[in-house]
Amino acid sequence: MEKQQILVVDDDREIVNAIAINLQNEGYEVLTAYDGLQALDLISTQTVHLIILDVMMPNLDGLSTTLKVREEKNIPIIILSAKSEDTDKILGLSMGADDYVTKPFNTMELMARVKSQLRRYLTLGDFNVQAKPNLLTSGGLCFDLENHTLTVDGELVRLTATETRIVELLMKSPGRIFPAEEIYERVWEEPAYRVENTVMVHIRRIREKIEINPKEPKYLKVVWGIGYKIDKI
Amino acid sequence: MDTRSIKSKPFTAWLCFFLAVNIIAVLLFTGFAAIVDSNGNPAALKTPFVEYKDSTAFKERTSNYFDRLLSLATDTSHHEFTEQFLKNEGENLRYYAANSDTGLVLTNIEHLSSSNSSPLTSPALNFEGYGVKPDAGVVLTSIEPSLVNSSPLTKPAYNLTGYADNLDTSPKVQNISDVDSSHLMLIPDLKEATMTSEGANSPDVNKTPDLPAVLPEGYSYYWYFDGHQIHVIYDGQPVDVERLDSGYQGLFPDLNRYTPDKLANTRVLLAVRDPLVPNPYGHSMYYWEQQFLSIIGWVYIALGVLGAALLVYVIIRRRDKREFDRKLASWSGQIWLEVKILLSLLALSFSAAFPFRYFIGHVGSFEWISGITLNICFILLGLWWFYLMFVDLTVNRRRFFTHNTINSWLNWYNRYESQYSWQKSMLKRAYMLVAAEAVLALISVIFVLVAIFVANGWAFLVALLIAGAGIYLIYRYLKSYDQTLSDLGRLTDHIELIKNGDMETRLELAADADMYPAAQNLNSIQEGMGIAVAEKTKSERMKINLITNVSHDLKTPLTSIISYVDLLAKEEELPEHVNDYIEILAQKSERLKNLIQDLFDLSKASSDNIALDMEQLDLGRLIKQTLADLEEPINASGLPFRLNIPDEPVYIVSDGKKLYRVWENLITNTLKYSLPGSRVFIDLIVDEQGALATIKNTANYEMNFSEDEILQRFVRGDESRTTEGSGLGLSIAQSFTQICGGQFSVNIDGDLFKVELRFNLV
Repeated sequence: MEKQQILVVDDDREIVNAIAINLQNEGYEVLTAYDGLQALDLISTQTVHLIILDVMMPNLDGLSTTLKVREEKNIPIIILSAKSEDTDKILGLSMGADDYVTKPFNTMELMARVKSQLRRYLTLGDFNVQAKPNLLTSGGLCFDLENHTLTVDGELVRLTATETRIVELLMKSPGRIFPAEEIYERVWEEPAYRVENTVMVHIRRIREKIEINPKEPKYLKVVWGIGYKIDKI
Repeated sequence: MDTRSIKSKPFTAWLCFFLAVNIIAVLLFTGFAAIVDSNGNPAALKTPFVEYKDSTAFKERTSNYFDRLLSLATDTSHHEFTEQFLKNEGENLRYYAANSDTGLVLTNIEHLSSSNSSPLTSPALNFEGYGVKPDAGVVLTSIEPSLVNSSPLTKPAYNLTGYADNLDTSPKVQNISDVDSSHLMLIPDLKEATMTSEGANSPDVNKTPDLPAVLPEGYSYYWYFDGHQIHVIYDGQPVDVERLDSGYQGLFPDLNRYTPDKLANTRVLLAVRDPLVPNPYGHSMYYWEQQFLSIIGWVYIALGVLGAALLVYVIIRRRDKREFDRKLASWSGQIWLEVKILLSLLALSFSAAFPFRYFIGHVGSFEWISGITLNICFILLGLWWFYLMFVDLTVNRRRFFTHNTINSWLNWYNRYESQYSWQKSMLKRAYMLVAAEAVLALISVIFVLVAIFVANGWAFLVALLIAGAGIYLIYRYLKSYDQTLSDLGRLTDHIELIKNGDMETRLELAADADMYPAAQNLNSIQEGMGIAVAEKTKSERMKINLITNVSHDLKTPLTSIISYVDLLAKEEELPEHVNDYIEILAQKSERLKNLIQDLFDLSKASSDNIALDMEQLDLGRLIKQTLADLEEPINASGLPFRLNIPDEPVYIVSDGKKLYRVWENLITNTLKYSLPGSRVFIDLIVDEQGALATIKNTANYEMNFSEDEILQRFVRGDESRTTEGSGLGLSIAQSFTQICGGQFSVNIDGDLFKVELRFNLV
């Protein structure tokens, strides 16, 4: 298997350099660019498997670059930005980015996200996932109704029976918010009384298994004051 | 000097206007009065412009004297001053009045008066000698020829006799002009007439009285009454007084006033000197009037020219005149309306009472002219008064009416009132109204009683006026009360407006309103608040922008630091102490990262510049979720948590994520700063004001700071807190609670630290 090429784009050379070193340590080929135009040149001439893209750059900013790239290619794009607001994240993702990492980032987390994106892009491919009827999917999450197994970005996640049933319940109705009582009654099949803590503990454990950063969950979300949900991504 | 001349300009113009109007008025009135008084006798109008002897005034004066003599002679009346009048004329007048019945003789013709004590027996004038009979249809007076002859002033005087007779018998003679040519021919007629009368026994009856013979030289004009008729002889010629152009129309004394019996025995002669001379011993009206009339015509013409010139000047300088009008109005504006009305009534009665009433003398005479001029002065007085009122009204308009005694009293009262506070003033005003009404009612009743008992209509009118004043006072009071109430309402509304944050709109009340000072004060408070709020908002915004930008710009270098520290940490074969250093770097850079993020969040929240996702949620569930989320650190702390959260949902509308952040901060805070082993209480209750969530813990240090201080950004409750966290947890919790629609309060009681969050229920 040939080495995967990752394009790192940022106007801050030190940051590019640091990311490049980390990526090379992980065994990737690294291409570097310092603004959007350079990045577009490289993408058109080279084989790029993933792009790490800063937002605020001279000449062509990250969001515009994302749009340009998406016109032709399906390469995973991880946006790297100092803007940490929810609105900024939503904007970036809606432009076609696959992930959004805020500066200052944790190197380990960034590497995990790179790996996750590459795995999904290279080994699974979005289209063949949809084909199987017995699979429930949300982004990188994939629940097999036949085997009651969950994979994240193609990697099997080991869940307990209760956890599996919770994930199955939530994934069967993507986007629906389940109060703790309902989850308890349908998973434990007992009358619920003061079960918030019990359910929450399980939720937290599931998150630790499926989320790269459990503090900022991508899939399993707590809707504070209401319940829990897994959105269709 | 310049300013003085400019100042005096309006006055000069106005003075010219004043003079012009006066002159023109005098001329017009005089002319009008002359036309009215002349009774269609055009000769009268010419008086000042003809020879005095030909003027109506002269004839009138002569007639007047003649009338006086007649009435004295016939004893009809006693004019005490008549003799004095006659005497004043001095040489200008020669008269002779005699009555054969009473024997009265009045004369200043020397040789007639000095001859004999008894006029009847006097040889100078023997009536009887001429056989005159009282009842005779024709009366003839004659003077003894012998006496006439003996007179030092003797002159051929047949002409007179002829005329006297001629006039006497004129009714018989159809045409005077016929007789005129041969007056001597009339003597037989006279004789005949005398003879026909029964008692005609005088042998000398055909002797004509030679009147000019008794008169000194220079008296060619005289009037003569022959007991029957008045004759006017001028220069030896009898004047045809019946002619319309003779100038004697309506001048003759009214003989009907006298009893015919008395007249028959009366003879009067009045001669006027020509030329007239001044009397060194008295005041000759003849002479005076002659002098006066000789110039008055020219005076009138000169006045007319002057008046026209002044009028033209005033028309050119009408602006200056108007300016002085305004000055006048400003003076007269200070007079009360009532005084103006009274003076106006007075002026009206003056002007209306005087005109054309007290004229004496005939048109053109000195008395007439001076009389009419005096009258015109009174009319002008009224006219100028009403002119002043007109100017006052046009310049001062409303003030003309509002500047009255009642308003002046009210103004005086307002000044008196202004030294008291508003509430006292209002009370005093009510008392004053009652008192004033009582006094007015009392006076009114007194006047009504006077009106009834004395039956005086004026008293009743005064009572009505006083009652009207009382009603007006009540009206004013109610109006001001109404105004005050509405102003009070506006004041209240304005306070509400300010409370709602309007710092722009100003409260505008009338300057004399009771609420005016309050409104002004409120306006300045509002202004001050507006400035303060604007400045605070501005500085707050600047601060927030600074923090946002700085925290944003801090992130980029921090990213490099964290990345390279991370790379360093991965380096192998480093000495142990270097690894320790790297560990410290990693910790501190991590903390810096959290600090910047907190700062950023806080500044966003404080500037209301944060996107909210408000939805209905269960506050109790949110607290439980947060506690479950933080289960691990809670368990690690070993602090027992006591929860008192109802099982039924407590629904509020808020942003769940922000509220989670609030509770996360609050719980983390208690974990950090609670006394080991002490309990943490979390309560959620629902009361009538909404949902109240509290978290209480016992501090592990002495909280020597106030509730406010701990919420101040960057102010730390204790030095020990510098070890970890940003110190912004509480501030963020407060800001987030507030933007999520809740109220956040901190309570410190000894070691007990309590945070209260209040939300409205759905």
